[in-house]
Amino acid sequence: MNRLCNSLEPRVMNDDMLKLAVGEQGPQEEAGQLAKQEGILFKDVLSLQLDFQNILRIDNLWQFENLRKLQLDNNIIERIEGLENLTQLVWLDLSFNNIEAIEGLDTLVNLEDLSLFNNRISKIDSLDALVKLQVLSLGNNQIGNMMNKAQAEAKHQFSIDELKHREYLMQAQQAEEQARQAELEEHQAAFVEHLNSSFLFDSMYAEDVEGSKLATLQGVGELLEAYRDKFVIICLNIFEYGLTQQEKRRVELDTFTACVQEAVQENREQGKLRIARFEEKHLLSLTAIRDESDLASMEARISEYSEDITELANVLMTLEMQLVEQLEETINMFERNIIDLVGLFVENVQSLMAQCRDLENHHHEKLLEISINTLEKVVKGELDEDLPDDVRALFVDKDTIVNAVGTSHDIHLLKIDNREDELVTRVNSWCTHLLDKIHQDETMRNRKRVKEINQFMDHLQNELDNLDSGDILD
Amino acid sequence: MEVLKEKVEEEEAAELQDAVERGEKTMKPPSPPPSALPPETRKEETPMTQEMLRDLEKKLASIEIVIPESPVIAKVSIDTSLLPASYQSNTPKEEHLLQVADNFSCQYSHLCPDRVPLFLYPLNECQVPKFVSTTLRPTLMPYTELYNWDSCAQFVADFLSMEPLADPLKPPTHLYSPTTVLKYQRGNCFDFSTLLCSMLIGSGYDAYVVNGYGSQDLCLMDLTREVCPLTMKPKTRVQEKQVAPPKKYAVKPPRDLTSRYEQEQERKKQEKIRAEEEKRLKEAEGRLQEAENAKADPLHGLRVHSWVLVLTGKREVPESFFIDPLTARSYSTQDDHFLGIESLWNHKNYWINMQDCWNCCKDLIFDLGDPVRWEYLLLGTDKPHLSLLDEDDDTLIDDDDIDSLGKEEEDKSFDMPHSWVEPIEISPEAFETRCPSGMKVIQYKRAKLEKWAPYLNSNGLMSRLSIYQDLECTQLLEVKEWYQNREDMLELKHINKVTGLIIDYFKPGHPQALRVHSYMCMQPENDRVMEFYEKARVDGLVKREETPRSITEHYQGRPDFLAYRHVTYGPRVKKVTMSTAESNPRPITKITERFFRNPAKPADEDVEERVFLILEERIQLRYHCREDHITASRREFLRRVEVDSKGNRIIMTPEMCISYEVEPMEHTKKLLYQYEAMMQLKEQEKMSRHQAWESELEVLEILKLLEEEEEAHTLKISIYDTKRNEKSREYREAMERVMHEEHLRQVEAQLDYLAPFLAQLPPGEKLTRWQAIRLKDECLIDFKQRLIDKANLIQARFERETQELQKKQQWYQENQVTLTTEDEDLYLSYCSQAMFRIRILEQRLNRHKELAPLKYLALEEKLYKDPRLVEHLKVFS
Repeated sequence: MNRLCNSLEPRVMNDDMLKLAVGEQGPQEEAGQLAKQEGILFKDVLSLQLDFQNILRIDNLWQFENLRKLQLDNNIIERIEGLENLTQLVWLDLSFNNIEAIEGLDTLVNLEDLSLFNNRISKIDSLDALVKLQVLSLGNNQIGNMMNKAQAEAKHQFSIDELKHREYLMQAQQAEEQARQAELEEHQAAFVEHLNSSFLFDSMYAEDVEGSKLATLQGVGELLEAYRDKFVIICLNIFEYGLTQQEKRRVELDTFTACVQEAVQENREQGKLRIARFEEKHLLSLTAIRDESDLASMEARISEYSEDITELANVLMTLEMQLVEQLEETINMFERNIIDLVGLFVENVQSLMAQCRDLENHHHEKLLEISINTLEKVVKGELDEDLPDDVRALFVDKDTIVNAVGTSHDIHLLKIDNREDELVTRVNSWCTHLLDKIHQDETMRNRKRVKEINQFMDHLQNELDNLDSGDILD
Repeated sequence: MEVLKEKVEEEEAAELQDAVERGEKTMKPPSPPPSALPPETRKEETPMTQEMLRDLEKKLASIEIVIPESPVIAKVSIDTSLLPASYQSNTPKEEHLLQVADNFSCQYSHLCPDRVPLFLYPLNECQVPKFVSTTLRPTLMPYTELYNWDSCAQFVADFLSMEPLADPLKPPTHLYSPTTVLKYQRGNCFDFSTLLCSMLIGSGYDAYVVNGYGSQDLCLMDLTREVCPLTMKPKTRVQEKQVAPPKKYAVKPPRDLTSRYEQEQERKKQEKIRAEEEKRLKEAEGRLQEAENAKADPLHGLRVHSWVLVLTGKREVPESFFIDPLTARSYSTQDDHFLGIESLWNHKNYWINMQDCWNCCKDLIFDLGDPVRWEYLLLGTDKPHLSLLDEDDDTLIDDDDIDSLGKEEEDKSFDMPHSWVEPIEISPEAFETRCPSGMKVIQYKRAKLEKWAPYLNSNGLMSRLSIYQDLECTQLLEVKEWYQNREDMLELKHINKVTGLIIDYFKPGHPQALRVHSYMCMQPENDRVMEFYEKARVDGLVKREETPRSITEHYQGRPDFLAYRHVTYGPRVKKVTMSTAESNPRPITKITERFFRNPAKPADEDVEERVFLILEERIQLRYHCREDHITASRREFLRRVEVDSKGNRIIMTPEMCISYEVEPMEHTKKLLYQYEAMMQLKEQEKMSRHQAWESELEVLEILKLLEEEEEAHTLKISIYDTKRNEKSREYREAMERVMHEEHLRQVEAQLDYLAPFLAQLPPGEKLTRWQAIRLKDECLIDFKQRLIDKANLIQARFERETQELQKKQQWYQENQVTLTTEDEDLYLSYCSQAMFRIRILEQRLNRHKELAPLKYLALEEKLYKDPRLVEHLKVFS
């Protein structure tokens, strides 16, 4: 490479340049020969030095995924760019360039040492992502408003304090929010969220125009109050029940996973033991085969050894199949139990919900009675109190009022039904999902183990074959 | 007493028979030997004739009397003159007590004529009868070691040497005070019990001295039939594994496909074999037992013994038990060795056992408040009386004769007098020395225990236990030696005489943190195991095992996670030149290293085992197993350098590295990666070899150290040990000397310079001013004169020396030619000495000249400030 000729001309970071640099800076001597034979992949390179190259633009570095140290000093780079992929970078030297702004460093979270000495930077910016940064060199730049710490403190103290205070408040709020969220999630896992308050009841009346209108009638207020109390009590029952059931399910699942873990672990220990035993023998027989001079006896030994291998494979496979059978049985048992549990839960919740409906029906009847009474009074003109106009509009004739009360009732029932449906569907979907996952995990585990055994056997066989051919060649 | 009486009255008719029965029951005398019969009975049997007399004479002459060794401390050896008055005489209260006791004893012997007379008031060392309870002197010892009963009993057993009773069938006639016993360090079982009981009561136990009957072994302190407590293995508590109840989802075990029938048959066969073996063992044991029990004691049940009873209630004693003071062993109250109890006492009262002892002490109930079972001497003990019997008592007293009643009333107002014995004191030296003359030997069944006082043996030996194979103690099986205060922290040496294996145990603090060292011989490159305190070592070595061909090391807690290293050596290559072990190391053939899991690395990159097959130039690596896998990655490198067909060195070929990877990765397939790995391994191999070499060196060093220590065996002395610590004593003495000198100087400083002048004045008169001034002037003048005199003296000496020197020089110059070399030497040495003297004198004179005015001024100053003159001179100055 002739540096003198190109010294003034800006150069491009192309593949050749990078290859050359990698080759020059890679392993030396014997290792270097090897490296030359095989070629070095860019992603294996850990450190790269590209100084005094008159580079104008950083480019073509996306392959160096594992680069730890990059030196780009004494070039004519104007912008920091193309470094997004180098997430493992720890050490970056960009001194003596023409950089004007700190940018494009947001993905380099592992950066510890950053040198931007002697550039044209005018503002310190966008260094927030570099959480591990320890050394930052920014000397000889054009940063104007540098002031010492005391001055800065004096100047910005007020705003800093305010910021801090706001931050503190925000944090507290966030923590609270998180706690609430966690609680809600827990309730959601039990499928009984919002049932520990009058949420459902309130929602029932939220869209119920007629209901709220009718609530102003005389006697309805008390009725509604009593109804609400009873309803909330049932909701709370459902809620408590849901939580206990959730706990039961959790315990069930925990026991199941623990037992499965145990079984798998035990099986694994056994497998390891077998392999360790085999390996002891294996070393001996390998040396024996190697040392054997007589061809016939060597063949005998080899066949004996390959028999051993087959036997090991058989044993390991038997163990695995045994485990699969055992686990299948256990999983089936668990499946039955969990489905039973969920079924029980759904049944009980449904019965509680039926109570809610009964309450609603009861309330509906009472309301209807009051409404009709009122209607009669209105018709007779005996009503002593004033009714708002929109309410009065309902008391035109019997149909209207019955319809209004009926609509309100329908809305309430719909709400209750919806809540029940939601709960049941979610519980069932959770159950199926869980079971699917368990089955899938087990299948995955089995496949992985079988693959591992096969791979190991192949390796052993290969080793033997190699030995075979090698010896025959000798 | 009344209960006793009633009993007797009721059974008056059957008295004789009862007596016979009881005698048989309690004593079981198996046809006493003729010698035990009193001589009177024999005399009366036949009328004397001349012949018979002669015959008797002959017979008597043939009988040799073995005079028993002085039963108690030889009377001559006790200097009674120095003992306090309480020892020499009785106080009126004591006299009173003795009368009461006498009365009691008379009634007792009257009512129970078949029982042995009571042991109530033996003579003490001054031949004064003293009641046994007053001989007890409860004392709390200042040593924390003596606070608990076991260590206390051990101390008494160690401290005193035992003497058998003069007459094994009777209690002794004398009972010495514990202080005398302690002083002479000898005593019989009663002395032992009294001392031990005093100490136990002093430290808060509810303890009693028991007078009763013991087995022969017990009375003669014969432990040869007891198993040594030190040889008994501590019972390993069988930890019952809590079998966790099978969990709900535990997998079912695979079906067992073996034949039940075959298993059953196999089991039966095994059982049969085992049963036979057991039978054989039992037979052998039985035979041994018989041999051991062959010698039955003819005096069984008659031998008098004394021991200590500790009752429950105080000091959280859960159950009453006996302590044999001779051996310091504790026994349950059911033990076979204790055959009967006559009476027992503490410092407050005296009880007689009224229970039948036909079944040894097994049926005795130690409820001292029960007057039916225990007859007390004095009323008003702190023992609770049985409330049930209180009423009975009253009615009985009414029935009783007046004599007894009067006595009861007397007794009621009577307390046990204070002990006549001085407080028990044990000096720290005696406490440390323990055994008389610092040594004690105890013979156990198939074992012998020797004890020494600390610092008695120069190698720190404290005790030695020899275990024998046979009962006669001829075939030594093993020896255990306990050491203390060793510089090398050696604690226990265990020598197995059969295998020749020696195991040394060290306390923490050995320079190389050695903990256990077991070996056959001290030569290097032999079988040995060294265990270390791994926390104290930088390299975390736990254990190093050595055989002639290998060294195995176990590590713990190293930053490089090394857990194990095994180095195998080949036979030493013979060199032409003679070479020592150091210059010709054994060739290493194989190094195996194992590592703990390093949690910072993924399992596939964390080596678990590394084997360097040095002869084959092969390196095997095995990696840790992943969490959910059963196979581990492995890699094997062939280090052999090969040359290809063109003669170029092959750097790396795919054949040189065989690897199995659980999860194949791309970069590991590269030759470069493998090459680098191999280079690294080569480096590590070098390191491992170096470390192996260092281990060898360390073994040599430790052995050298041990040998040196064995030869020198210096003992460590605590800095708090003021008696033995030479350094601290020197320091202390130096300090004392300095103090003394300081004191002298102070005395000197207080010398009164005015005294000679004041003496001239009439004494007792107040000084006048004129006198004071004169006094001062005289004093100053005198001082000035003395200074001048001193200067003159120095001057005179100086001149004399100079003159002599000049003379000598003259003489030398005149006779220079004729002088021999010897004379010349003499002259020269004289000259140098003389010159030295002159120079010193000169210096002194100069210093005197310098200091004299200062001294003069100082004295003047002092005189002005002198309290006697100050008021007169104040005005003046």
